[in-house]
Amino acid sequence: MHYESPVREPLVIGDKTYHDITRDVARPIETTAPKMWWIAFSIAMAMFLWGVGGILWTIANGIGSWGLNKTVGWAWDITNFVWWVGIGHAGTLISAVLLLFRQKWRMSINRSAEAMTIFSVIQAALFPVIHMGRVWLAYFVLPIPNQFGSLWVNFNSPLLWDVFALSTYLSVSTVFWYVGLIPDFAMIRDRAVNPIQKHIYKILSFGWGGKVKHWQRFEEVSLVLAGLATPLVLSVHTIVSMDFATSVIPGWHTTIFPPYFVAGAIFSGFAMVQTLLIITRKLFNLEDYITIQHIEMMNIIIMLTGSIVGVAYITELFIAWYSGVEYEQYAFLNRATGPYWWAYWSMMTCNVFSPQFMWSKKLRTNLIFTFIISIVVNIGMWFERFVIIVTSLHRDYLPSSWSMFSPTAVDIAFFLGSIGFFFVLFLLYARTFPVIAQAELKTILKSSGEKHKKHHSDDNHGHH
Amino acid sequence: MANEKKYWKGFDQLANTPVAQKLAQNEFVEEIPVADFLGNQQMMESSQTSRRDFLKYVGFSTAAATLASCESPIVESIPYLIKPENLVPGVPNYYATSYTDGQDFASVLVKTREGRPIKIEPGDKGFFNSGTSARAQASVLSLYDSARLTGPRKGEESSSWSAVESALKQAATKAQEEGKTFVLLTGSVFSPSTKEVIDRVRSAYGNFVHVQYDAASISQKLDAWEALTGARALPSYDVHLANVIVSIGEDFLSGNNGQQLAAAYANRRKPGAEMSRHIQFETSLSMTGSNADKRVKLKPSEQGAALAHLYNKVTGSSVKVGTLSSDVRKSLDSAATELLAAKGASLVLAGGNNGANEHLAAAINAALGNMGTTVRPDRAVYILQGNDRSFANTVADMNAGRVGVLVAWGVNPVYSAPHSGFAQGVKKVDFSLALTDRWDETASVCSVAAPVPHYLESWNDFMPVAGTLTVSQPTITPLFDSKPAQEVLLALIGESTSYKEFLKGNISERGLSVNSVLHDGGAIIGQGNGTSSAAAGAKALAGVAAAADEAAKVKTGAFEIEFYQKAVGAGFQANNPWLHELPDAISRNTWDNYLTVSAADALAMGLINESQSNGAINGSLVKLTVKGRTLENVPVWIQPGQTAKTLGLAIGYGRTKAGKVADNVGVNAFALMSDGATSDVATIELMEGEHEFACTQLGNTMMGRKIVNETTLATFMADASGKSWNEKVEYHTMLGSVTANEASLWLDHDHETMHMWNMSIDLNNCIGCGACVVACSIENNVPVVGKEEVRRSRDMAWLRIDRYYSSDMTEERADAENIGGIEMYASMEVPAESPQVVFQPVMCQHCNHAPCETVCPVVATTHSMEGLNHMTYNRCIGTRYCANNCPYKVRRFNWFNYQANEQFADVNPAQDDLGRMVLNPDVVVRSRGVMEKCSLCIQRIQYAKLEAKKKGSKMEDNAFTTACAQACSTGAFTFGDVNNKDSQIAAVKKEARAYHLLEEVGTQPSVFYQTKVRNQA
Repeated sequence: MHYESPVREPLVIGDKTYHDITRDVARPIETTAPKMWWIAFSIAMAMFLWGVGGILWTIANGIGSWGLNKTVGWAWDITNFVWWVGIGHAGTLISAVLLLFRQKWRMSINRSAEAMTIFSVIQAALFPVIHMGRVWLAYFVLPIPNQFGSLWVNFNSPLLWDVFALSTYLSVSTVFWYVGLIPDFAMIRDRAVNPIQKHIYKILSFGWGGKVKHWQRFEEVSLVLAGLATPLVLSVHTIVSMDFATSVIPGWHTTIFPPYFVAGAIFSGFAMVQTLLIITRKLFNLEDYITIQHIEMMNIIIMLTGSIVGVAYITELFIAWYSGVEYEQYAFLNRATGPYWWAYWSMMTCNVFSPQFMWSKKLRTNLIFTFIISIVVNIGMWFERFVIIVTSLHRDYLPSSWSMFSPTAVDIAFFLGSIGFFFVLFLLYARTFPVIAQAELKTILKSSGEKHKKHHSDDNHGHH
Repeated sequence: MANEKKYWKGFDQLANTPVAQKLAQNEFVEEIPVADFLGNQQMMESSQTSRRDFLKYVGFSTAAATLASCESPIVESIPYLIKPENLVPGVPNYYATSYTDGQDFASVLVKTREGRPIKIEPGDKGFFNSGTSARAQASVLSLYDSARLTGPRKGEESSSWSAVESALKQAATKAQEEGKTFVLLTGSVFSPSTKEVIDRVRSAYGNFVHVQYDAASISQKLDAWEALTGARALPSYDVHLANVIVSIGEDFLSGNNGQQLAAAYANRRKPGAEMSRHIQFETSLSMTGSNADKRVKLKPSEQGAALAHLYNKVTGSSVKVGTLSSDVRKSLDSAATELLAAKGASLVLAGGNNGANEHLAAAINAALGNMGTTVRPDRAVYILQGNDRSFANTVADMNAGRVGVLVAWGVNPVYSAPHSGFAQGVKKVDFSLALTDRWDETASVCSVAAPVPHYLESWNDFMPVAGTLTVSQPTITPLFDSKPAQEVLLALIGESTSYKEFLKGNISERGLSVNSVLHDGGAIIGQGNGTSSAAAGAKALAGVAAAADEAAKVKTGAFEIEFYQKAVGAGFQANNPWLHELPDAISRNTWDNYLTVSAADALAMGLINESQSNGAINGSLVKLTVKGRTLENVPVWIQPGQTAKTLGLAIGYGRTKAGKVADNVGVNAFALMSDGATSDVATIELMEGEHEFACTQLGNTMMGRKIVNETTLATFMADASGKSWNEKVEYHTMLGSVTANEASLWLDHDHETMHMWNMSIDLNNCIGCGACVVACSIENNVPVVGKEEVRRSRDMAWLRIDRYYSSDMTEERADAENIGGIEMYASMEVPAESPQVVFQPVMCQHCNHAPCETVCPVVATTHSMEGLNHMTYNRCIGTRYCANNCPYKVRRFNWFNYQANEQFADVNPAQDDLGRMVLNPDVVVRSRGVMEKCSLCIQRIQYAKLEAKKKGSKMEDNAFTTACAQACSTGAFTFGDVNNKDSQIAAVKKEARAYHLLEEVGTQPSVFYQTKVRNQA
């Protein structure tokens, strides 16, 4: 058994046995939904349906039902796309990268973080599809052998790279997530009393028997998938950033974008994990597993990535000035002082200034404060994408074509609809899936559990 | 006789053996083994056709037979049983004709496809006005206007031509008996045959009066010339002979005085020793003023004083001069010096509609020796001949009940002279007939209205200028039950001939034939009108003191208003959506007229133009009062270059009965005008509420960027190489210093093997008129999207004309005065109060390293071997990435299905069966969700290539050109194959003035520009 220093904070609080963990994790699945869940679900569903209405309206009438124009060809659509992809980054980072680095604290949060990843990537995928003028021909972006002649996709186009990056990310994350779920589904299956439920979980758990060989394979597959998923954490947002970086538009054409986008993505992803888990741990009484220590760890990552993002912003400004390119200089000056100054300074305040509060231990261990900051960060990150996309496009090379952007009701419906859709998925997940990777968590109970640590230190005192 | 001969199959048959008898009874020689077949289980089972298969086959054949017997849908189309001569489907036919719309004249070629006119092109051999203005280009759509009157009608009920003609005859006879007059009210008639018809009516009816009336009147100017020359016509101006042009308020490039002077003007604007010098004194910033080398602000009331002062300076005399500011005096003094240095080769023009001013201008020209050189009274222009006094007298007669019959042909005084008392007078006329193209404001108050054909449906002849005859011929059978007005008049006097025959007869009397005149584009008949230029000049000089006294008697007020014309003109083609969607040359506004005010006055009066969150501009509304007449809710546009304490308002808007396009667009400026005066004293008062503008250009200055490269003539002449004034962008690379075109990461396309299409745009020649924009829309079926969509910055124009004002803030000034970047850029956005203006046509630049091509995920936009950037609509899925990545922002996205979406039913001509006839069949109508852009008229390129191939020869340099280049009367566009070393384009590409727009981006465009050179020191 792994030994851990008693100086380290326990990762599982309270007098927990293996059975306690099982019971706590299975409780939301085995009990009826609380009233709060129904209220939240109804709101999310209503927003989702509103969004569906917006999508249908767009497909029926045309992209003209959005606020775009001849100069600003992308606005909320791609802003939302990048925003959701960014949010999706924390899940894989927690489950894969932290697994490779043997960070045990990830165990109680990786399941939900990964669920969040998958659900947000689904939202992200909606936008570039629906934003097409002729969505019914969306399959043109796939390299399908066809009878149209020598038609093939354009491998020079970053949008095509997006197609591959996103689909790879979605599939690898889903497989990784599902593999982790198998032993937990088996646990639910074993406890289930309702035959239908039992049958469903039986299918979902792929005949898991808990044999040593099963565990060995499970560990191996997890490690291999973690290895596969880790480069994706960096690649997906790098490729998304190339949509902009490879263009010729001042404010987009920037080599700093790949690392800057990845840092921003992790930043916003962790913020979203915070938002979700602070609610989940409260609603499902999981405070003993998702502890203040977890929250604090994530806050430190938010502070770190927020600072990286801040450095990137300042570097952009410096390089714009240093480049001597008048278009570039104007693009950044216009961001900060032009008609969209409010968006720029919202971004700066939310992303650069607000995470700096996390230097204070008192604040970063404060739940309410963390919750507020987690939402502020995601607002900031939405503005970051809006600033990059809209303020660069609206005033580019020729002043004769300068324009502005204002969203329509359909733009708003589509965006809020995606948030609704996300929460519909997440709320359904929370009632039907084990929200904590209990099988994994049980492996550290005897090393990082509070009870064990106390016991262990008592022993030490006795013997030495 | 029947042959009883028999032939046997064999001896058995002859012998009639029992075997033969048996065989004869059985049809089949052998027994058919039915029993075996059905009884043999094994055989049945081994059969390949099972019972199920059999049923399938039966079912299939039944279904197939049923389907085959069904009727297939029938699309009724009538083939040419006998192919009309000269009509090959897919091959256009061109007809030479003359364009008129009530205020303009031009010699044009009409392109027809399968019998329908689809495009107006400049006359290749026209004798007069052979360029096409935006209005001439757009006029083809007015033919297919669904608001046109389809047949005669009496009030709300439909009527017939026989009823109309007999009613007219009765009324005319009755009027003659009662001693009342018979008035024929027309626009300017400059058709000799029509005049002949009118003369015949005059001799048949003693009480007949013909009155000519122009909506946009220059009646007082004509009075002045009538006094000088005896002919009621403006002289023609030979602008190309003028080294110095001084215009006091005349917007002579707009062609609103009947003459298209732009081509001759541009001819002398080529940089070099021969470049003319143009000084403009004006009130509102006009297109002409924007092109001037020097522009001076002047109130309308100062025009007379300015002319008098100029006269004094030129001649050294001292006629009476009204009040003038010292700045204007100084500018006039230097203008006089320049004029005196160009005696006999200069030109002074007076604007507005003022006889005294016109007289003064004539006197200055006479003093300068320009009479007979640049001013040609002997070649008088007859396009505008209206007489406001006759019109006023007629209206008085009508109101007094002295008019028995009124025939109003092609005029709309209820709209264009609302305060003349015409509308009231019509009610007192016993019988009024409107010969009109639509049930307009005047037609609806007349007792009977009947349609006259569009110019593309009719025969006519014209004498636009003394000594020149042109003919117009129909290009399509009349679409509606219309009749030429001349025929109605001929029928009235009992001549049942058609006007066509009448016209032919009339022309052959001159010893000419209609065919030869059409073929030659016109005919010279005599040497002008015999007026002596010298005599006119002498008369002008003699009467100058009186004219100066008269000119000094001008009213002034706190605010002065000037009425001007935009692309819609006087409103004859107000229901034409192309003219509304064409942005104004100066303000870039569409679908509107508005009151222009200066920034200083706006600030003082609290008038604002404010950007909304989507960039669109909202403006204040004012109550505008002129001579006690008030227009409410007049939108205000803050116009750089507007003279302080003056206002400008365009006529031709505010129609109420022109059709669904025009009705209620803008305000009716005619409601404020009186006695044909184009300027007056006005008061304005701020009102509640805001007006929504649809402006296509929101950034007004170049922000210190080298977008339009510009220099002065002195600099240009001093350095022929262009190194100092057309600096090429260079990059320092590992290979040394290279130009932006050479620095590239990409492999170059092959540009040698085939054609290499290039276009050059000469910024010295572009005057900003917009004819190319309309021509492009017509040629390429560019959709009209209406005001709301333009307001959302979604205009679809493939070709736009960017207009930039200069700003008082420059980088040099910021450096000198230590102004920071933020403040510098903020003040650079603000145009100067008296800005210099540049026009720059921008379409797809056909980059040879195109940013759009690399980013399209589905290869919908690709590069051709001929230097073009292609757009494949079928492949486009509409990600708009290409448009985002276009540095020139020339790509246009189909946000909606403009051809079917109800939102555009009122504005898009493709939404009704009639309007659809104008579509160019060579260009696909794009569907919703795809990107589109300029193709450099790929359909014309392909057509010309095929023609050359058929001929088996190399394509000639002038075999064809693009629609924009063709429409441009000033020759700003040069298009061709640079691989043809002898071509014009290959030559201009080498000029020192040539540069690429945004060359530093490294896009290597196929389109390039020629530096603008102003004639300044």
